[in-house]
Amino acid sequence: MVAISELQEMYTDMVTARHYEERLQEEYLEGKQPAFDISAGPIPGELHLAAGQEAAAVGVCQHLRDDDTVTAPHRPHHVAIAKGVDLKRMTAEIFGRESGLCRGKGGHMHLFDPDVNFACSGIIAEGCPPAAGAGLAAQKRNSDSVAVAYLGEGAIDQGGFFESLNFAAVHDLPVVFVIEDNDWAISMPKERVTDVDDGSQRAAGFDMPGVRVDHDDAVAVYEAAERAVGRARDRNGPTLMEIQVHRRMGHFMGDPQTYRPEDDQTAATERDSIDRLEADLRARGVEDTTIKNLRDAAEDRVEEAIEWAKDQPEPDPETAHEDMFANPPSGVTDTDPEFDLMGGDD
Amino acid sequence: MSADSRVPVAVDDIWPEAADADEGVVINWFAREGTRVSAGDPLCEIQVEKADADVPAPVDGTLAEIVCAEDDEFERGDTLGWIAPV
Amino acid sequence: MSEQQEVVERELTMSRGMVEAIAHEMRANDEVFYMGEDVADYGGIFDSTEGLLDEFGHDRIMDVPISETAYLGAAVGAAQEGMRPIAELMFVDFFGVAMDQIYNQMAKNTYMSGGSVSVPMVLTTAVGGTYNDAAQHSQTLYGTFAHLPGMKVVVPSTAYDAKGLMHNAIRDDDPVVYMFHKRLMGIGWMPAPDGPKTPVPETDYTIPFGSADVKREGADVTIVTLGLHVHRALDAADSLAEDGIDAEVVDLRTLVPLDRETILESVRKTGTLVVVDEDYRSYGVTGEVVATVTDEALAHLDAVERVAMPDIPIPYARPLETETQPQAADIEAAVERTQ
Ligand SMILES: Cc1ncc(C[n+]2csc(CCOP(=O)(O)OP(=O)(O)O)c2C)c(N)n1
Repeated sequence: MVAISELQEMYTDMVTARHYEERLQEEYLEGKQPAFDISAGPIPGELHLAAGQEAAAVGVCQHLRDDDTVTAPHRPHHVAIAKGVDLKRMTAEIFGRESGLCRGKGGHMHLFDPDVNFACSGIIAEGCPPAAGAGLAAQKRNSDSVAVAYLGEGAIDQGGFFESLNFAAVHDLPVVFVIEDNDWAISMPKERVTDVDDGSQRAAGFDMPGVRVDHDDAVAVYEAAERAVGRARDRNGPTLMEIQVHRRMGHFMGDPQTYRPEDDQTAATERDSIDRLEADLRARGVEDTTIKNLRDAAEDRVEEAIEWAKDQPEPDPETAHEDMFANPPSGVTDTDPEFDLMGGDD
Repeated sequence: MSADSRVPVAVDDIWPEAADADEGVVINWFAREGTRVSAGDPLCEIQVEKADADVPAPVDGTLAEIVCAEDDEFERGDTLGWIAPV
Repeated sequence: MSEQQEVVERELTMSRGMVEAIAHEMRANDEVFYMGEDVADYGGIFDSTEGLLDEFGHDRIMDVPISETAYLGAAVGAAQEGMRPIAELMFVDFFGVAMDQIYNQMAKNTYMSGGSVSVPMVLTTAVGGTYNDAAQHSQTLYGTFAHLPGMKVVVPSTAYDAKGLMHNAIRDDDPVVYMFHKRLMGIGWMPAPDGPKTPVPETDYTIPFGSADVKREGADVTIVTLGLHVHRALDAADSLAEDGIDAEVVDLRTLVPLDRETILESVRKTGTLVVVDEDYRSYGVTGEVVATVTDEALAHLDAVERVAMPDIPIPYARPLETETQPQAADIEAAVERTQ
């Protein structure tokens, strides 16, 4: 049975992630009302928030160490928080500041925190192959670290996903593929784009275990992930998991959601995995004051990160031209070798 | 033509169903003052709570006056412009 | 304009011009259909199919799985059967996951088959930055598509051009890549500059590929550009006029075929060339246009400048994107350097 201390950690991360998204939404909409202009306000660009998907993040990442790798897609904040990404520097990145994780170059869809082996990116399913690669590196180095690739249920129709499943399976790589099923790929409901209800069934074709967690219950996710991550750590190969989650907000902040039935939207907000975990904590004898303290501390941490981020300077425009290569363009040398090559023309 | 016979370009009938907000913004006009318009043709486009909606010309006529220009905000019930019917 | 020509008063946004042409062609020809992600109920993330679902239904305005290789390749297959698919790649930046179907099939099959097969399809795709969507959602990649032989490449800058070029694209028996700039579409949440909204005739009409359009006539300098930067160049030209510099602005409208003659004619007149591109500087549109002029009209060329994206992935933060993307002020400065 999952320890109370672990439940409390997961609860803290879930509250942090939820509060974070709600606060980012507020910050993002500043200057964007009543006219929604994507370029206006303190945070420009697209913003994909993950409120309602926290259970999938914490239930899996609770089993991970800093040296385990996670790749996330365009909706990354909850996973980043669960993986232990530096919250202040992540927030500064989202606000486009110099002290952001990527010096303001990446933005919310392209966050990199090598200290905890986290990365995310914006093209569908493109995090799957690098996760397999992290697993490959662990295998070659005889380390017991593992890799986790997160993706949405809409991403399981992408070629890179299928190729990665097969690659991981055939090499028995320590990888867990985690599908977050929020029922929607932007405006496209799942049933319009695939004939399979349960995406984890795709695993069968690659001879790996496939499991589906049917409700966004952090404890159920924790238990399923314990087996999947354990299997990877014990070098028994990859697993495909699918977790039912809920999208409480629009696909991106500019999404009017006119395609979405009102009752679907309401249902997504009524089923709250944070309430459920809170009830679990109470059932296990955790006092209300303890829960309140956890919640307050999480919310304070978010406020502090946002305040800090907004105080950071914007990057100097000239820095746009830096960071192209790790080495100089010439490579590890800037001089030609001197050999006397026999038979040459000169 | 007397000012009274002008027909208002109103938004109440096309207000997006799901919108709770009572304010919107004019995004685009498809006609200029003084040009001919036909009843039913999209005259301008508004945005309410991120959703867009077309405002059709209420009658055949000439667009006599644009009251809310592009990027202007307005409230439910406001008149965006006036048509001089033919 | 002659007396008997109809005066067009109605103005449309660029997306509406594009959609009107698609709707017209779909009414006229049952074999035309549109496939893409979020093109049905959503109407296209950038309004490229707004309103089409209501008239044509899900059979002809098809939402597809996020499987670009499959549905772009399927468009190639259906086109080779003689249908006229239009397939949308939501952002051009996503071309990577499906490029094999695009450039090894769509672009090459006509030639490889010795002309016995044709691929009458349109690949529509959104391009461009200006709203801080960073390195994977802001590129134009004009040069990439124009470089690989076998595709006609269209880049409209106004509603009038968008409609006429779309009619020509759908009727053309060859694959046409139709690259629309997000910032020009007239979307509520991404306001367009003044300029792309133009009068648009209600009737159908075709604009030939390979005919550049002189959007502003001038005697002192030729600014060659396309897409969003047509409007930035026109802004620059307005303020240059205040300093007594009379700039001509040439809108390429298509990259393949490239209307070299209009460029050359303009440079022979002005003696000065400034090429402006939102794509990367090296190995791209600016180099091609400059080479065209040095090949054919070197003697007429007194000065030349290029204004383009530096060769770096597009950064996210506002000051960084603004620094790297050619602004009207950068165009003005480049013109002033030539004088
Ligand atoms: C290859 C590719 N195609 C299309 C897109 C555009 N796109 C971004 S998110 C998205 C929907 C993704 O749905 P899903 O995987 O279910 O994740 P969710 O957004 O629901 O979290 C699409 C189509 C993309 N980023 N990359």
